[in-house]
Amino acid sequence: MQAGRGFRLSAFRVLMAWPWAVLALLLLAVRLGKGAFVLDAYALLSRPFWPGSAQSEWLRSAQRFDQQTRLGQLDADNQRLRGLLALQNQQPGLVAAPVISRQEGGWWQQVLLGKGSLQGLVVGDAVVGPGGLLGRIASVTPSTAQVQLLTDPGSRVGVWVARTGQHGLLVGAGSPRPLLRLLDKDTTVRPGDVVTTSPASTLVPANLSVGVVQAMDEQAMPAPEAVVQLSAPIAAVDWVQVIPAVRSPVVP
Amino acid sequence: MAHLYRQGWCLASVLLVPLLVLASPGLLKLNAVGPAWGVLWLLPWALVDGPVSGALVGVGLGLLLDALHLGPVTVVPALAVLGWWWGRLGRRGAPIDRSGSLALLAVLGSLLLGVTVLAQQLWRGELVPAAAQILLAQALITGLLAPLVCSLQVLLWRQQLPGVRG
Repeated sequence: MQAGRGFRLSAFRVLMAWPWAVLALLLLAVRLGKGAFVLDAYALLSRPFWPGSAQSEWLRSAQRFDQQTRLGQLDADNQRLRGLLALQNQQPGLVAAPVISRQEGGWWQQVLLGKGSLQGLVVGDAVVGPGGLLGRIASVTPSTAQVQLLTDPGSRVGVWVARTGQHGLLVGAGSPRPLLRLLDKDTTVRPGDVVTTSPASTLVPANLSVGVVQAMDEQAMPAPEAVVQLSAPIAAVDWVQVIPAVRSPVVP
Repeated sequence: MAHLYRQGWCLASVLLVPLLVLASPGLLKLNAVGPAWGVLWLLPWALVDGPVSGALVGVGLGLLLDALHLGPVTVVPALAVLGWWWGRLGRRGAPIDRSGSLALLAVLGSLLLGVTVLAQQLWRGELVPAAAQILLAQALITGLLAPLVCSLQVLLWRQQLPGVRG
């Protein structure tokens, strides 16, 4: 009798402990599920503290810093190697000049710089602004220099498309977007390709940014033509830098 | 008979034209195209001073403006013809110097100037794709400025020549 009551009592106790059984089953499920529920719950609770825009900004600035440093090093390396190849005999010093008159609309596309032959500028020097090549000096006076912009109808500059390695002639069209006349009939140039000055150029310094191909006309005769969006905003440039042309030493 | 070009300071005012072309004030531009300042100066001068003076001053002004532009394209013939034509109009009987007439003459002058430049660029194989746009924009902004600028100049030049019909 005693034993029977004791048995019933313990069975009752076991029945009364069902929450613990549920807990044990839950823990077992968590264990078997490799903690999926816990992790999801943690993710839900910690969402306000996830890495946000501030962190991505840090990372981006770190990346930018890294890229700028590498650009500087590669530039220096490039100059050294070009010097070894005797492609460029001296490192040209840049001359900063203010834009004192601009006529970038209308029949002529030119700007006037506030420095001239007294500061060492000569006809043919390349003029660059923030963003890339703007044009070349077409005439100088003692204190001013007229720059023929790349958009002037009379402007002709040899350029190349770095991705395909194809040469072309950048012809001013009187509008803000000059035309790129490619020399090859078969071309794989497409919109988005970057146009730079040719690495083998002698008229303008090598590897200056010029612009981006915006549209391509494959049917143009005699060779395909592309419309190029210049990378330097001519209408907004107030100060430019003049790169003195490399004067090759006179060989006796 | 009195002539404007005999008065040195009147003739010296032509120097304002290259200065304005160089300064190219941004407010007075339509679609980045400025007015034809040469036309705006030459029109009242020729109307007051007659065809010979107009043509000669047009040649001088054209030479000044050509010096400011790159390339061999010239505006001398257009300005000379305009000076002659406007000089003859000024000597006719009916008064031509109402605001509307001045604007119309300035628009025609600007169009003629643009067409000669365009023709020379075509001849040299340097066709500007945006030529029609530049032509129209320059004619419009020149025509808009002409009633103001040219009327004042006509008045000023007439005051210098009391003998001329006014």
